[in-house]
This record gives sequence, structure tokens and C-alpha cells, in this order.
Amino acid sequence: MKEGKEEIELIKEGKRLDGRGFEELRPIKIEVGVLKRADGSCYFELGDNKVIAAVYGPREMHPRHAQDAKMAVVKFRYNMAPFSVDDRKRPGPDRRSVEISKVSREALDPVIMREFYPKTAIEVYVEILQSDAGTRTAGINAASVALADAGIPMKDLVSSVAVGKIDGEVVLDLDAMEDNHGEADMPIAMVARTNTITALQMDGRLTKEEFERGLKLAMSACHQIYELQRTALIDRYSESVEVGGE
Amino acid sequence: MYKVVVPGDFISETVSRAGEGTYVEDGKVYALRYGIVDERGEIKVVALSGKYVPTEGDVLIGRVAEISFPFWIVDIASPYEARLHMSEFADARGEKIEFGSMNRYLDLDDLIVAKVMNVDVMMRIELALKEDFNLRSGGRLIEIPYTKVPRVIGRSGSMIKMLKDKCNCFIFIAKNGRIWVRGREDDMNLATEAILKIASESHTSGLTDRVADFLDSFRREKRRG
Amino acid sequence: MGLEIMDDIRKDYVYDLVKSGQRVDGRGFREYREISVERDVIKRAEGSARVKIGNTEVLVGVKLDPGEPFSDAPDKGVIITNAELVPLASPEFESGPPNENSVQLARVVDRGIRGSEAIDLEKLCIEEGEKVWIVFIDIHVLDNDGNLVDAAALGAIASLLNIRIPNERYGLTGENTLPMRDTPVAVTAVEIDGNILVDPNFNEENAATSRLTVISNADGTLSGMQKSGSGGLKEEEIAEVVEIGIEKAGEIREKYLFS
Repeated sequence: MKEGKEEIELIKEGKRLDGRGFEELRPIKIEVGVLKRADGSCYFELGDNKVIAAVYGPREMHPRHAQDAKMAVVKFRYNMAPFSVDDRKRPGPDRRSVEISKVSREALDPVIMREFYPKTAIEVYVEILQSDAGTRTAGINAASVALADAGIPMKDLVSSVAVGKIDGEVVLDLDAMEDNHGEADMPIAMVARTNTITALQMDGRLTKEEFERGLKLAMSACHQIYELQRTALIDRYSESVEVGGE
Repeated sequence: MYKVVVPGDFISETVSRAGEGTYVEDGKVYALRYGIVDERGEIKVVALSGKYVPTEGDVLIGRVAEISFPFWIVDIASPYEARLHMSEFADARGEKIEFGSMNRYLDLDDLIVAKVMNVDVMMRIELALKEDFNLRSGGRLIEIPYTKVPRVIGRSGSMIKMLKDKCNCFIFIAKNGRIWVRGREDDMNLATEAILKIASESHTSGLTDRVADFLDSFRREKRRG
Repeated sequence: MGLEIMDDIRKDYVYDLVKSGQRVDGRGFREYREISVERDVIKRAEGSARVKIGNTEVLVGVKLDPGEPFSDAPDKGVIITNAELVPLASPEFESGPPNENSVQLARVVDRGIRGSEAIDLEKLCIEEGEKVWIVFIDIHVLDNDGNLVDAAALGAIASLLNIRIPNERYGLTGENTLPMRDTPVAVTAVEIDGNILVDPNFNEENAATSRLTVISNADGTLSGMQKSGSGGLKEEEIAEVVEIGIEKAGEIREKYLFS
């Protein structure tokens, strides 16, 4: 939420500036296995956000002393390309990326069966190629699919979306204009199957009731996103399938 | 029928038959991996991707990565390295190996066929040599994801038998996705192409026939040319 | 990843006690440890506070320096929050560049202050487009026995309540005080075996897999939330933390910020 808020009307005649309804997601596009060298990968678009996630591993963990003798260590690096935003972003991690990397890793940790690969590292890299608010949610969605693509054993997929408040209304999936001039922004991540929330942040100001309504709206949108993630993975192998002999 | 599942997909309520690639929660069997459900015996999810982790009894092809007396450290195409103790050689040939001379028996980058004797909780993997054949001369190593190995073998070995016949090559497929092919140069090229084709189309049906056609048409081309 | 060496014996001990409705130090699930807030402890800072919650001790210093405003907010002051997990505070803290835990701590505290608009940034304008006051909030953790967030956030607000604007030092005229418009208070809880425990100490933090911080204002509205840890939370668990958060924030505000 930037400090400079000019007076901008974000809702006109019951519709948002891009024509969406209050509970409408931006269009989503998902492609699985887009990178040849990575063990798993996913390209994800959410409105004008373009992100790519790559998974390497499980592989040998360095440095050795940071290895966990009982389970794999999950590493997550969220990074914005310099050209992804209006004001060129200097390359390299900044404090925001460090925090997002931590929150994203903790969003996925609960579902990864790390005990299967002791002493190794599972590395997740999310690159934001084009940004229009909601990049961390797009990143978590893409990472989830990339982890499945890499064959990492997981209990579930994780889905993520943000809700916010603009012009006094609770709405789903803020774009950059709405995020910059709105009153609150709340990204979440969730396991659709169990309705367990694995990431939750809120920034801005909300009443308790707005928070509860926003959370329910976000959870319902995560179910929608989950279906899209699942479909993208299933469709990749859509030809009729035969299991090889043993 | 066979179907593709993603992690967290519900498969069955028959908890007693839950096998590899699944997990049980609240009396239900769910998929643990992105793969294909195989309910013919146990309920399994056959992974479509992933890294090879050895189990005792696996026969694999390794590559010597390091010599660290009294062990050769072997790369086995896994997140984990394996070790081969020098007594393996001594036993096999009745020789005693001195410090500093291990490389005369197996040097860096040498390929070996080995059996996994033990995997402990610290993921230390002990190998024993299988000296059925020599991996040093006249052959080539192909690496495919270990998940595709069953497909290259085929139901009751049908696919690999066909490859051997039509390509006129010696072919050995190891559990860790490494394949040793030996024959004349152009026969090996053909076998390599066929194997890579199987690996990339492993999820499709009618593959055995398609590969047979591919090999036959190649042979026909050769005869004409 | 910070402090990951979990003492499994202690973790089991914490779990077993929770199962029978108890905590290691005998507190109730919704009870805070003893809190103390001491203000104006650092003379050279424009505002400061030392906060203790149980054995956790945090020192917050606020400094004001004139500087340039952001181009998209030429008439507004700037807040910069930083946290140091200095090595003397805990065997797990190492010297070096800020790690993810200190970055998260600073950003969560910052979020609460920003979201509540507790500071009227326009009052920090010296010359529009040219010069504004930069408010540096520096959190120095001295002893880590869990729940750094609540202590740091409380210290930040306590420091800000009576800041002195150092006009003379820079030959400026203007108001010497800056009234706060709101008093956001952070309340953190962990989830252990389906139970919500408020104000986790170090062992409880390590034993739990999920932690949730709720920052609320005097009027009961929320101005920040952050879940951390490798676990998940149910909607009902989140609702419980929000409810306790608003209630406890009210108690803490009354007892420690307005006395």
C-alpha cells in the first residue's frame, strides 16, 4: 500500500475499473512443464501478471551443515525481474522479496512430504516477469503446480488468491491500481481439499466483519483456482494412458 | 481403467490396499504424487516424474565420482550418492588393494553395474558389484527418467525384446534410468532414438506398435538407401 | 530459516501439557506473561521504550531525520522500520545481513502502524516536495524468549506516543510533538494440537507449527495480520485468534499505553 493516495474512484456504477464484478477473478492461464532443464515447472498468468515457477530437486543440499538428517529442506526464492514493474526494480533480493519468499515457503511446507528425502534440498524459484498486483499469489499457485510436475510427494496442491477493500467494498483479486489506491489487501493460501489456510497476511484497515467476509470470499476463490491447477496437470497427459509392464 | 491423478485426489476407501504413491487419512486413500493410478493389485500411484531413490535389491548402473579410500563414491543418478567398498574387488579377484592404487581397479568416470545391498536411515547406500558384463568397451550410456523404465521394458518384457531384436543390440536397462546399449554404431543410434521416443511418449497408448512401426520403416529406408 | 534446532524432548513436553489443558509456565491459554513498558529510556533518541514480556526483552528507539519525500507523496513524511536480532539475544541469532526473521518482524510491525494511519504523515512535512521528516523505528531485540512481534510492536507504539520532533537541531520551526491518531497493538498466538495459546514463549513457538499475529486498533478494527510457520490453520482457529486479539489488545492498550 503506497503512501501517496490521490482521490481515485475505483468503483463506478457497481463495477470495477476493468469491468469486473466484486467477486470476479482475473483471467488465469496455466502451462505445465515449460522449462526443459528444471525438474518441474509452471508458467502462470493472472490478469496481467506473468510468472514462472521452477523446481529443482530433491537434490544434494549445500551447505552440508544446513542439511536436515531426517527430511528435505525446502527453499523458496521469489524474485522480480527488473523490467516487471513501471519503475525499474534493481536486481537482487530486497526486503519485500525476502518476506514474500518466507511466507510462500511456509504456504507450501504443510503439504510437502519432506521425510521422503532426508538430507536433500527441494528448491523452488519463482520469477515475476510482469507484475500487476497479486504476484505472490500467482507465485504460490505456480509453485504448487511446478512441485507436482517435479514429482515431489505432496498431500495436496496449494491455491492462493488475494482479497481487498476498495472504495469501502470487499473485492476479490486486486489489480495494481486497486492495490495502490485501496484500503486493504489480504493475500491468502489454502489447501482446497481440507479448507486449511497456509498463508495469511493483511495490510491496511478492515473491520472484523469485513475481514470475515473477505476470508470467506478468498477461500471460495481458492477452490476455483484449485480446479484450474488440477485441470492443467491432468490435461497434460490427456491421451489415454497405459501403465508399462512390471 | 487408468487415470491421471494429482496430489490430494481421492482414490478409494479400501484402506487395506493402499500402496506406493498414496497416503491414508480419515479412512480414505489419497494420491501422494502426480501420476497414474494402478489399482490392479495394491492401490498405487505410478509417478510420472521424480528422482530415483534406491531400495535394497535394485540393480543399477553407477559412475565412479570420487575415490575415498577404502570406498569408491558412486553417482547413481539420485539425490544420494552410493559407496562401493574396495573389498568388493578383493573378494571378486582375491587381490588386496593398497592405499593409492584403487584407481587401477576402478577409476573416475568408470561405469559399473551394481546391486544395492543396504540403505540405512542416514541414506548411506552400500553397493556390491555385479560383474555380469563389462561396461567399458564398444557401448553407449543413455539416461532417461527412472519413471520411464517400466515402459521401456514393456509388459512381460515385450518392449525391450522388440528393441533388442529390431535394433540388433545388447540392451541393459537399470532401475535408476540408465541404459547400456552395445552394437554397431548405426544400430546403437537406432536403439537410442527408439528409447528416447518411448521415454517422451511413455504416457500414451499403442506405443509398442508405434515403436515397432518406427523401427521397421527405418530399416526399410536403410535397405532402400 | 533461523532457529531450527528443535529440542524434541521439550516439544513433546509442551504438547503433553497442552493436551491436559496446561502450559509449561502454568499460564492459562489466553494469558500473557508479565508485561512491562518503560518509556524514554534512551536520551538521544526522539522516542524510545523498553518492553519486557516475560523474559523477552526488546528495546525500540525512534529517530527523526530530515530527508526527501517519495515522489508520489511529496507532502508526507516517511516511516522506515528495521529490526535487529542481535547475537547477544539468543544462541540462534548470528551476526550478518538481515535474515528473513528480522525482515518479517520489521515489516509486520511497520504494517500495523501504517495500516492504522496512527501517524499523520502530513504533519511531518517540512517543505512540500523537498523536505520531510523520516521516522526511523529501530527494533533491537535483547533477549528472545518468544513472541518478539508483540513486544516489538508495543515498543514501537510506546516510543511513538511522545516523540519529540528535533526542530532546533536542524534550525527548523514547527510543532515539537506529534500526536498519534491511533494505537495499534499486536497480539500473537500459536496453534498446538487444535488449541490456541496466546503469547507463546520460546519453547511454545518451536513446538507449534502455526503462528498468527493480529494487529488491532482502539476501535476494534484490524490493521495487520500475519501467519507464519510451517503449519496450516482452520477458519475457526483464525476467528478465535482474531477475537482474542481484539480483546487482549484492548487490555494491553489500557494498561500499558495510557497510564
